[in-house]
Amino acid sequence: MRKKKLLAAAMLAAATLTLSACGGGDDGKKPVADVSVESNGDKAATILDKPFEKPDLVLTDTHGKKYDLRERTKGKPTLVYFGYTNCPDVCPLTMSNIAVAKKALPKAEQDKLQVVFVTTDPERDTPKALGKWLKAQDTDFIGLTGDFDTIQGSARTLGISIEPSKKEKGKVVSMHGTQVIAFSPKTDAGYVLYGEDTTVDDYTKDLPKIVKGATP
Amino acid sequence: MKRRILVGGALAVTAGLALAGCSDDSPDKAAKADKAAGKPELKVAGAFMPEPVMDTMASGFFTVTNKGGADKLTSVTSGIAKKVTLHSTKGNAMKEQKSFDVPANGELDFARGANHLMFEDLKQKPKQGDKVAVTLHFEKSDPIDVEIPVKAATYNPKPGKHTSH
Repeated sequence: MRKKKLLAAAMLAAATLTLSACGGGDDGKKPVADVSVESNGDKAATILDKPFEKPDLVLTDTHGKKYDLRERTKGKPTLVYFGYTNCPDVCPLTMSNIAVAKKALPKAEQDKLQVVFVTTDPERDTPKALGKWLKAQDTDFIGLTGDFDTIQGSARTLGISIEPSKKEKGKVVSMHGTQVIAFSPKTDAGYVLYGEDTTVDDYTKDLPKIVKGATP
Repeated sequence: MKRRILVGGALAVTAGLALAGCSDDSPDKAAKADKAAGKPELKVAGAFMPEPVMDTMASGFFTVTNKGGADKLTSVTSGIAKKVTLHSTKGNAMKEQKSFDVPANGELDFARGANHLMFEDLKQKPKQGDKVAVTLHFEKSDPIDVEIPVKAATYNPKPGKHTSH
């Protein structure tokens, strides 16, 4: 009996797989398998019931100067993302999405919003390399590099797991975080998450609320 | 242990079903089986390159659909870059792949956050509106030339498409 049940379950699972595999064209629809993870429907933003504390992170900025995240971003709306510049797809997509959405804000609010890119590949992302890459997207973006363990530790407090870059067959494999965390100017807590599927339109819609510390 | 074996078997069966479910026109299964074993019939569509940040690195995306037998994308060449490599994204890490399967009567999809081409050491920085010529090389089929249009850095026609995780 048990055998039969198992088989039936597997078939059912496969039936859903088939559906998602065939629905190649439809935009925006979440794959069936992801539904349980992302329960808030069409919205890009995930509002955290228990906000993250802003990590106590002191690193080096793109000018080679010491940068204290808590001190420098206190009382300011802040977006934090972990990535690396030798990343052709997701990292520049995420930063470009934010750069474009940010330009839609009124000037005063653009100045308030702090966008902090923390490298997951400090060995290759020197302050200079990081600065050049970020400047090409938005001259006000803040780039941080430094000790990998420090970076990994602070990522962990935000639920982001990264491993050091490693060489595989002569190629360096690095990792990026999947989430952008928005910190409120009111509480300094990380209260909203954006996954890597978040589009430029999603950010454009949400940033005016984020800069006020409101719920998007 | 027994359980595992069972599930594995069931999945293998349904992989076949999935293929049958996806292909459309001919209801004649025997003919289809012949076709699946035969020559691949490839078509490339939906190609794009998001405008890169710098001239060091760019990515490229497209979909290969196959109405025939299985094939493999083995390499990509382009005059614009010293090197073009194939990558998958798994667990937020990029991994270089030697080749990508183009399944019989199926498709090979490249999408943001998932499979992508990585162009390294660009001759110049492609700008939105440019076209980048590349050649896709396959194990069985003849090479296919594709003109990849350069889109905005934020271009993402199918968000949420990466079902790999």
